[in-house]
Amino acid sequence: MISETTYKTTAEAQPSVVARKPSIWEVLTSERYFKWTLLIPLVLLLLVFMLYPLFYCLYYSFHEWGMQAEAIFIGLQNYRQMLNDQAFLEAFGRTFEVLAICIVAELLIGLGLALLWNREFKGQNIVRGLALLPLLVAPLVLSLLWNFMLEYDFGAANQVLTVIGLGKVYWWSPELALYTICLITIWQWFPFSVFVLLAGLRSLPRDVFEAAQVDGASGWYTFRRLTLPMLSPLIMIIVVLRAMWLIRLFDPLYGTTRGGVRTELLDWTVYRTAFVFFDVGYGSAMAIFSLFLTIALCAVMYRRLMKALGVIK
Amino acid sequence: MIRKTLFWLVTVTVLLTVIGPLLWIYLTAFKSAGDIFTTELKKLIVFAPTLDNYERLFTDHPFWFNLGNTAILSVVSTIFVMLVSLPAAYSFARWNTGGGHLLFVTISTRMFPGVVAAIPFFKMFSKFGLLDTHVGVILLYVYFNMSFATFLLYGFFREVPGELERAAMIDGYGRMEIFRKVVFPLILPGLAVTTVFCLIWSWNEFFYAFLFTRLTARTVTVLVSSFWGSIEVQYGPMAAGAAITILPTLVAAWFMQRYIIRGLTFGAVKG
Repeated sequence: MISETTYKTTAEAQPSVVARKPSIWEVLTSERYFKWTLLIPLVLLLLVFMLYPLFYCLYYSFHEWGMQAEAIFIGLQNYRQMLNDQAFLEAFGRTFEVLAICIVAELLIGLGLALLWNREFKGQNIVRGLALLPLLVAPLVLSLLWNFMLEYDFGAANQVLTVIGLGKVYWWSPELALYTICLITIWQWFPFSVFVLLAGLRSLPRDVFEAAQVDGASGWYTFRRLTLPMLSPLIMIIVVLRAMWLIRLFDPLYGTTRGGVRTELLDWTVYRTAFVFFDVGYGSAMAIFSLFLTIALCAVMYRRLMKALGVIK
Repeated sequence: MIRKTLFWLVTVTVLLTVIGPLLWIYLTAFKSAGDIFTTELKKLIVFAPTLDNYERLFTDHPFWFNLGNTAILSVVSTIFVMLVSLPAAYSFARWNTGGGHLLFVTISTRMFPGVVAAIPFFKMFSKFGLLDTHVGVILLYVYFNMSFATFLLYGFFREVPGELERAAMIDGYGRMEIFRKVVFPLILPGLAVTTVFCLIWSWNEFFYAFLFTRLTARTVTVLVSSFWGSIEVQYGPMAAGAAITILPTLVAAWFMQRYIIRGLTFGAVKG
C-alpha cells in the first residue's frame, strides 16, 4: 500500500523533470562540469599534438622507412644501429659537454653578479634593463651575427684581441668551435641566471643574516651555510630549465657551423637523419631516444621543479 | 672607494659585453661593404653611414613580405593560444582540475624535443597539403606556446582571491558572468604579459619555420638565415635584416623588465 503511493508520487513528479531537459550549454556551464568544459580545447589539442607524434615516432622507430616505400618492420634494429653509430654517440656526448659547460658557467657568473648587484645603487634599473636585453632576441639571428663577429680576418672580436695584444683566435677551428658555440649561448643566457638568483637574494629574510652577523660569522661562512642553501630551489630551477633548453640546441648550430667542425649535437643529428637523408625510421628512433633522455634527465629534478613551481605540494 | 671603483669596473665591463654585440649589429647594418671587410680597428665605430644594405634588402629580397608573414603567424597563433590557455589555466587555478596531473602533462609538452613533433607533422602536413602554408605553421606555433601560456596564466590566476568569486556567486552571478566580469579584469595584466611572451616566442621561432616553410609562408628568421649561404655570405643585408627583426624584441625586453624572469621561469620566480 505504502510502496504503491510512493511509486505514484515519483511517477507524477517525473514529467516535470523530463519536460525541461537541461540544454548542453547548461550542462557544460553547470557547477559540476564547468571546470572540465574549460579544459576541452586544451585536452583535445594535447591529444593531437602530444600523443599522436609520440606514438607515430614510437611506431616508426621499429621500422625501416624512407617516406616513400612501404615501411618494413625491423624490430629493435634501429636502436641497435644507434648504439653502434659513432657519429650519434659523439653527438650525444657533445650535447652533455655543452650542457655541463653552459650550466656551470652561467651559474657561476650568475651567482657572482647577483651577489655584486644585490644592493641599492644609482642606475640599478638601467643596469638591469640593459643586461636583460639579449634574453628575448632570436637565438638564430644572434648566432648568425656572432658567426661574423668571430670571423678570423674581419671579425670584430679578433680585431679587438689584436689591439689588446692577445693575437687572433681561430674561433671556428675543429678544436674550438664547440666551445665557441657554448660561449655564444652563455653570452645570451647568463643574465637569466643573474636575475633569477638576484630575485632570490632579494627575498631572503634579513633577520637571519643580521643574527649571523651578530654571532660573528664570517662572510664566506654565511654565504656557504645560509645564502647558498636558501638559494638552492632557485639554482634547481635554473638547472632544470636550462637543461631542457640546451638539450635541444639547434638554432646556434644552424647560424654558425651547421653541424660541421665537430659540433654536431643531438637534435642536429636527428634533423639530418630524418630531413636530409630521409631515414625517417632511424630518425624516429633517435627522436624517441632524445625524448626519453630529456625525461630521464628531468625526472630526477622534476618533482623538485614542480614543487618550486607550485604545482604539487 | 676602491670597492666602489671595482664595483663599477665590473658592472661596466659586463654591460659592455652585453650591449657591444647588439650595438655592433646596428653599426654593421649601416656600413658599406668596404667598411665591413676591413681590418682597420677604428672602422668598427667610425665610418660613413650608408643605406645600401637596406636598399639591397628591400629590393633583392622579399623582406617585408617575410616580416609580414612572421607578424601574421605570431598574432594569429597567439590569439588561438589564448583561446585555449585562458580557460584551461583558470580551471587549473580555481579547481585544481585533474589534481595537478593534467597540468603536469601539459607542461611536459614543453620538454618534448622539437624533432619528435617535427617528423610526424611533416608527414601529416604533406598529406593534407599544409606544408608551406600559414595554417600549418600556426598549428605548430599553437602547439609549442600552449603549455607555456597555460602555465604562466595559471600563476596569474592563482593570485586572484577566491573570496571575490564567492561573493559574486552570492550576488547571483553565473560562472560565465563571474569569469567575464570579475576574474577577467583582474587577470588583464597577466594576460598582457603572457600575450607578449607568446608573440616573441613565435616571432623568434626558427626550427619549425625552417622545416615547414619555403616561399609563401617563409618567416623573416628563415630569410635572415638564408644570407649565410654556402656560396657567399651577405653580411650587409644580413645585419640590416637582423637589425629590423630584433628591434621589437629589444623594445619588449626593455619595457617588460619586471616580467621577463617571471615569464622565462614559467611564473616560478617573480623577478
